Amino acid sequence: MREDGQILRGKVAVIGAGISEVGKVPGKSPLALAAQAASRALDDAGIAKTAVDGVLASTSFASPFHRFSVAFSEYFGIQPTFSNTLQVSGATAATLFHVGAAAIQAGLAQTVLLVGADSLLTGLTPDLALRSMSESRDQQYEMPFGIPVANTFAMTANRHMHEYGTTAEQLAQVAVTFREHARRTPGAQMRDPITVEDVLASPWVTTPYRKLDCSLISDGGAAFVLTSAERARALGIEQPIYLLGAGECYTHEHIFLMPSLTTTGATRSSALAYAMAGYGPRDMDVAGIYDCFTGTVVMMVEDLGFCAKGEGGPFVAEGNLTYGGAIPSNTHGGLLSFAHPGMPGALFHFHEVVSQLRGRCGERQVPGAKLGLVHTLGAGFATNATTVLGTEETL
Amino acid sequence: MNSLEQVMRKPLPVPDADTQAYWEGLRQGKLLLQHCLACGHVQFYQQAICRHCGSERLEHRAASGRGRVHSFSVVHRAPSPAFKGDTPYAVLLVELEEGPRMISSLIDGDPMKVTFDMPVVLVCEPVSEAISLPRFRPAEREQVK
Ligand SMILES: [Zn+2]
Repeated sequence: MREDGQILRGKVAVIGAGISEVGKVPGKSPLALAAQAASRALDDAGIAKTAVDGVLASTSFASPFHRFSVAFSEYFGIQPTFSNTLQVSGATAATLFHVGAAAIQAGLAQTVLLVGADSLLTGLTPDLALRSMSESRDQQYEMPFGIPVANTFAMTANRHMHEYGTTAEQLAQVAVTFREHARRTPGAQMRDPITVEDVLASPWVTTPYRKLDCSLISDGGAAFVLTSAERARALGIEQPIYLLGAGECYTHEHIFLMPSLTTTGATRSSALAYAMAGYGPRDMDVAGIYDCFTGTVVMMVEDLGFCAKGEGGPFVAEGNLTYGGAIPSNTHGGLLSFAHPGMPGALFHFHEVVSQLRGRCGERQVPGAKLGLVHTLGAGFATNATTVLGTEETL
Repeated sequence: MNSLEQVMRKPLPVPDADTQAYWEGLRQGKLLLQHCLACGHVQFYQQAICRHCGSERLEHRAASGRGRVHSFSVVHRAPSPAFKGDTPYAVLLVELEEGPRMISSLIDGDPMKVTFDMPVVLVCEPVSEAISLPRFRPAEREQVK
């Protein structure tokens, strides 16, 4: 059992962040998107690629390279002395930050580049597109019954509606709110306004989810530069953003072994992250919440402690996820409206929260944001990872 | 077989070292659960150790075949062309009488009439010489189309 986490709290800083072109980006491979994001992150940090001695990447479905972090380093022209490619589905984004920070604190690397990119919209060969349809769940116990990826999440939302009276209108409000946010985000994939009625009139995918309850399919990537808090100061970095808390929880692999369909491992991952940070949910000014489906967000606002269990539906419907509400979330538009290139999708949540804490979000800015939370998850809530970030004054 | 043919056919489970007995049981019309002789834990799916206590003393026993729908989702957009002809169909998360839950899909019933906690009964559906799939039908006859 881990200690209170003071070894890591505030010891590592994000000093650079960058995102590639996102949305529909034909003609750019995942490695090209990764390189573009990495160059932008290094430019943002004001350091040269030769300063990078560690590289961590998420896997990339459309790329033929299984060791994506290694292939990326060759492509980018660097030879790091610490590297790995991580894969815990949608939760990978936060784990990149956790592993990168731990490596720096342990002395395995000084400057770690985190990178993730994929091109699920335009980059899949016909062969890969077929594979993506047939290889997503367990081949003996799940796939024979025709389970789309959405189905596991759909069954959790359905049960939540049954147990707590959560309504389709409340789910729809999540999509409407994040679309409203995306309208102010340059480069967001979907920027046309939608209404609750539009969501409820969109075609069924798998009940209770309709098309507009589901996230996008996109191309794109993001990259971040991490270094020690000490070195960030020595480099004279303006506005380093500190990693204050980190927590993860892995409760099952198969959906039928999920301990409860309506209370997830996010309760534990976020409790660990809050404990390390020394802050609680009410202290957070802004959040990035993994929004693969609308109902996912309803369950997460409960498990992350923003409201009580069962109250997620009314909470999101009352405007608590937007400006002036309890916790402005996914101010870039999220996976539902900004972009969702698979594994890198939640890196955009990190990019947005870091930008908010640096006060660089322009008309999307949450005034005075100092503390932010990012929660990433995947595989029917099998994987959960929570990160708390803060400015200098929150240390 | 090329991948196009593969994706046009429904995925057929390939038994592994842990699951031979499970699939052989289904072929004979029995849904086998593992009972731990050390701690009494009953588990699905089939594996070499008890997930609760780690014991290898596991015994296969046939389930009653009765269960209830813990949750479900009716699929309207199929995950692959192979399932297109079946839509809308109900994927079920069944809670067996013995405790464990499993994924299945509704057979011989109206997918639009599936409800929470609805009683269901096992139907072993042969899909190849070696493989029968554990599916479930409504226990109440009036819910059958
Ligand atoms: Zn046991």
